[in-house]
Amino acid sequence: MIVEIGHYALVLAFVLSLVQSVVPVYGALKADNRLMATAAPVSGMLFLLVGLSFAALTAAYLSSDFSVVNVFENSHSAKPLVYKISGVWGNHEGSMLLWVLILVFFGSLVAAFGRNIPDVLKAATLGVQAWITAAFLAFILATSNPFLRLLPAPAEGQDLNPILQDLGLAIHPPLLYLGYVGFSITFAFAVAALILGRLDAAWARWVRPWALLAWLFLTLGISMGSYWAYYELGWGGWWFWDPVENASFMPWLAGTALLHSALVMEKRSALKIWTVLLAILTFSLSLLGTFLVRSGVLTSVHAFATDPARGVFILAILCVFIGGSLALYAWRAPALKQGGIFAPVSREGALVLNNLLLTAACVAVFVGTLYPLALEALANDKISVGPPFFNLTFGPIMVPLLMVVPFGQFLAWKRGDLLAVAQRLWAAFAVAIGAVLVVAWSQGVEHVLAALGIGLAFWVIAGSLSEILSRARFRDVGLATGIRRLAGLPRSAWGTVLGHAGLGVSVLGIVAATAFQTEAIRTLKPGETMTISGYDLTFRGIAPRRGPNYVEDVAHLEVRHGGTLVSELDPAKRVYPARQQPTTESAIATYGFSQLYLSVGEVRNDGGVDMRAYYKPLVTLIWLGTLVMAAGGVVSLSDRRLRVGAPKSGRAQPVPAE
Amino acid sequence: MMIWIAFALLTALAALSVLVPMARARKETVSPAANDAEVYRAQLHEVERDLERGLIDAEQAEGARTEIARRLIAAGRAGSSQESGEAKGETSLRFARLAAIAMLPLAAVGLYLELGSPDIPDQPLAARIAAADANTDINLLVAQVERHLAENPQDGRGWEVLAPVYMRLGRTTDAVNAYRSAIRLLGSDARRETDFGEALTIANQGLVSAEARVAFEKAVAADPKAAKPRFFLAIALGQEGKTQEAIAAWQALLADAEGNEPWVEVALSELKKIGGEPPAAASAPGPSVEDVEAAGAMSDEERAQMIGEMVARLDERLARDGGSAEEWMRLIRAYQVLGEKDKTAASVKRAAAALRDDPAASEALRSLAQEIGVPL
Repeated sequence: MIVEIGHYALVLAFVLSLVQSVVPVYGALKADNRLMATAAPVSGMLFLLVGLSFAALTAAYLSSDFSVVNVFENSHSAKPLVYKISGVWGNHEGSMLLWVLILVFFGSLVAAFGRNIPDVLKAATLGVQAWITAAFLAFILATSNPFLRLLPAPAEGQDLNPILQDLGLAIHPPLLYLGYVGFSITFAFAVAALILGRLDAAWARWVRPWALLAWLFLTLGISMGSYWAYYELGWGGWWFWDPVENASFMPWLAGTALLHSALVMEKRSALKIWTVLLAILTFSLSLLGTFLVRSGVLTSVHAFATDPARGVFILAILCVFIGGSLALYAWRAPALKQGGIFAPVSREGALVLNNLLLTAACVAVFVGTLYPLALEALANDKISVGPPFFNLTFGPIMVPLLMVVPFGQFLAWKRGDLLAVAQRLWAAFAVAIGAVLVVAWSQGVEHVLAALGIGLAFWVIAGSLSEILSRARFRDVGLATGIRRLAGLPRSAWGTVLGHAGLGVSVLGIVAATAFQTEAIRTLKPGETMTISGYDLTFRGIAPRRGPNYVEDVAHLEVRHGGTLVSELDPAKRVYPARQQPTTESAIATYGFSQLYLSVGEVRNDGGVDMRAYYKPLVTLIWLGTLVMAAGGVVSLSDRRLRVGAPKSGRAQPVPAE
Repeated sequence: MMIWIAFALLTALAALSVLVPMARARKETVSPAANDAEVYRAQLHEVERDLERGLIDAEQAEGARTEIARRLIAAGRAGSSQESGEAKGETSLRFARLAAIAMLPLAAVGLYLELGSPDIPDQPLAARIAAADANTDINLLVAQVERHLAENPQDGRGWEVLAPVYMRLGRTTDAVNAYRSAIRLLGSDARRETDFGEALTIANQGLVSAEARVAFEKAVAADPKAAKPRFFLAIALGQEGKTQEAIAAWQALLADAEGNEPWVEVALSELKKIGGEPPAAASAPGPSVEDVEAAGAMSDEERAQMIGEMVARLDERLARDGGSAEEWMRLIRAYQVLGEKDKTAASVKRAAAALRDDPAASEALRSLAQEIGVPL
């Protein structure tokens, strides 16, 4: 009965979302309070129904109810409990249900926390959100229904896919979806504004926190996916420019741009129309990502063509929403009032530059991801666009962006003084130059590019910190008052500093781990030792071990640094007999921010084992930096103040010394 | 029934989430410009607070205030120009109510009946296994044993029980694994090796693989008279194209047969296929089909006489040529059933003498003697 209640709740949610698509939007257009009042309660109800449905599916997984086709195909009674739960979204149907669950979750959040949002805007926004909900519920019910039944029920499930039995992967998709789908709210806000023909102060006030929330989850989701690939895939890479990764990275780039332009709009009423466009584009890229991952088009365009029902459905959703919203934009945007003028050299100007660079970077990734697909579909040529393409396009766009980040923080609103800012950044510049010199001196001139990269990272970190230090005015007011001023700064200022400094930390990790990584591949027999970056790895032997549903050969190594034992590593090769699928379990030891990464390969007949070891200096900073960025997001989100940018009046400008 | 009550409850909740807010909402409209003004006023407060905390200086505050005031005035102008928020008609409201009361349940139930299966109950695996004894679904029983073995993979008896069930279900690969585990855990003997080899052969579409051959050879080594492994080994010889050796193997096998074994027919046809002649003994070793048919048409005395003659024939053959333990025991049982006590006791003694060199057979004979109450 539980399963069928879940199924009915899903159907009911679909019909209710159709009601929600029409009633509040119509009410908003006619300014009818009674119709608009339905928006918030119905959003809550939709969340309840989809939540019930998801809970019912989870219950079916937990009790191994193999009369449900989806459970039969994707679960097994011998799975550990955690993976029975994560198995719910480890397959196509369940993950789409999770997608919709998060969609209605965000809708209900707006309904619950958006008391201050003007009724008209809230009603229209929730109505637009319901369009997306209805479209995806229709998709689930028509092509990917997880509640279809099977009689007689089989005695055992089919799947124990070992790759999916990983805690990282259990958490990764929900986080990523929270980010992807979170941008549906900013999209709904944007479309609502276009429909209502009003882009007012309240709009800007309410879009920014939602964009920030979505961005926060997406940052964590991408970072986590990257770390998972790093430790699970067994060859030490942390970013592959894989289409699936790019699919989540593109909304992140656009979302970061949106975050910054929403800031301009909130504080200065400028860049309104551009912000709306970015909100539409960001969610469109999320939809595109969903399409790429869910339609199977990535595995092969032709495989997609042979079983096209799902892909075509998502493609139709994609076309309707992206095409429709852009058409609406083209029609209504000219009618929107432009606000706030500013000089090219100003905080606004810097943020425009930021937006341009981020958008250009996004386009580069977009081309690199979709060009091979288009080529395969049209010319039947299979090419792969690898890291070289992205390094040559994405990299050069990122360098100027990183260079201007500290300037943006210092520039005043409306009109700024570049020279004065440059003077205040001299300390950060000195730190950066110092870092370049130290690296170049210690690593040799052949690493000059890496030295410059590290200098850039220090520039971003020091630059963002010096902004907040200069605001504390230690030199003028003394230490005690300075600290008090520092603590009194608005949390949004701290958020900015953390966000930018986190970016610098990640860049530092990326440059160091890429340029100074060392690698050693050896075949070791028990008792033999290999050396990498001053660490001696002694192979002590390899032994079989039995896990709950796998068998593995575990190698045991001792790591010595300068003769003292610093850690023991146990990399393994696992085989899951149910699937005859081997996996590599690499072993990682962390020293400070650096890591020693070890994985085992073939076991030779003479007892030798292939070992692949990497020493990755500062590699953990890549992910720690994203955590700092996310922390900045949290801090900024906790700042509920209304914001306004205070411009400096023209006559008060400090005159630069000639 | 319960399920429909649950559906009705959900539907009612969904309808109420539309109807209640519509009924409770005030019938007025708010000018959007008023919202803007509110935001701007709050922004003004914010500027004052920033100034107090010393985050911005007086000049910046002044600049911000001017800016906000400009927007506030603009908002006020816009608000006054569209101050005509008359409540709109009731038609749209009626449509919304209709949607909640009629369309919602009709569409939801209609769509659900199309997609759902309201009459299929939940079937959690644990409950199905608990109920399995009652409805004896073989698959569930197997699942139960599999669960047990997943937890206790060292239970050799379990594997041995499960293996033939797998064979019957056609899951030959699983059967091979089960037999392999049973042999690993319980040790090798003729029967296990034979079954293992048979499973391998069937899993291999009838081809006797090298692994299966080794299993059959082990079985024959443990029990040289065992028919089944020799049967498969003969097949293997045929498959390998060693025709002469295959013919010899078949003939040896048939020579030891009594004729009523189910495999004799197959053996004869295999032998004929590769061009061999059946051995003489195989032609009339036991009661022929005619004999049995004749027995059915006879009176009781005649039948007793016929059986007596058949037993006598067996007795004679065993006395002349000797025979396997099974044949001796058949003779003993036959005399016992016919009620000939002397001959029973005598045949036990003769069998004991003939089987003296075979400890396993002697043991079996001893237990048979005990069972029928004849001193050995």
